Amino acid sequence: MKIHLVLTGRAYQQGEQLPGQLELPDQSRLSDALAAITAALPEGESLQGSCLLALGGTHVGTVDQHQDPQLTEGQELLLIAPVAGG
Amino acid sequence: MGGPAALMMAMAGVGRILLAHSGTMISPDLNRQVLGNEQVLGKPRATHFAEYLRSMNRFIEVEAIDHEPDDEEAHQLAGRSDLVVACPPTFEERLRLNRASVAAGIPFIDAAQWGISGTLMVLQSPRTACLECVYPTPPPFEELFPVVGAISSAIGSLAALEAIKVLSGTGDPLWGKMLSYDGNRGIPTVISLTRNPQCPCCQETAEDAG
Repeated sequence: MKIHLVLTGRAYQQGEQLPGQLELPDQSRLSDALAAITAALPEGESLQGSCLLALGGTHVGTVDQHQDPQLTEGQELLLIAPVAGG
Repeated sequence: MGGPAALMMAMAGVGRILLAHSGTMISPDLNRQVLGNEQVLGKPRATHFAEYLRSMNRFIEVEAIDHEPDDEEAHQLAGRSDLVVACPPTFEERLRLNRASVAAGIPFIDAAQWGISGTLMVLQSPRTACLECVYPTPPPFEELFPVVGAISSAIGSLAALEAIKVLSGTGDPLWGKMLSYDGNRGIPTVISLTRNPQCPCCQETAEDAG
């Protein structure tokens, strides 16, 4: 299955190193997608644990603490890195 | 971004503003702190910011609090407020204001920025997630981070707009949603935030509400 990957805001620059689409086995789960993203990042780099995850426009947790739903063909996985600047 | 938010609320006629900001005005703040200027460098921020807001609208009350409130004071201040607009530089402070808002049962608007991007959330547990549902573990503190004043003003103004909508009952506030503005690409994205039923901050409030 194919999943659209969008890294937005502060995560944008990290997203430039990643494909816009992930190719995953059927019945993959969110954790499989995150593992594929981590594998695609340059060595030594990882996603920030508090980075927010949204599937199809709905928040499903953070990289460190999230639900693990099964993905569906063509779904969009959005990553938003936390920001606290005032 | 608290400056633009407070300024827009004052100009709109929000009748009473409690403005908490510690420290003195320093030159690196001048790229975004629209309530300050070269003449107030080295002077307490909250006092001067409050004075500026009063100069923009003589009909409103502005109370300056020249330090970051601790938990107890945050609860007291929330108890005297109709909503909280949170714009501090750390997640610890944001989560403290969130706890106070949840305890007081009032809306909580979180506005934040980094570089040329920003986020905005409108929350009120138990009808929506609270900030601790969204960030169960505070992201690490950053002493230095890039800020462009334009994003500060944009997100701060949008925070004020949401506050005005909530206070006046106008329109459809971004309840339970996060607006993320990606300044790199000029793309806004809105996602629906999900409550954490085990959230240590708002679980009890939700249970009380039935």
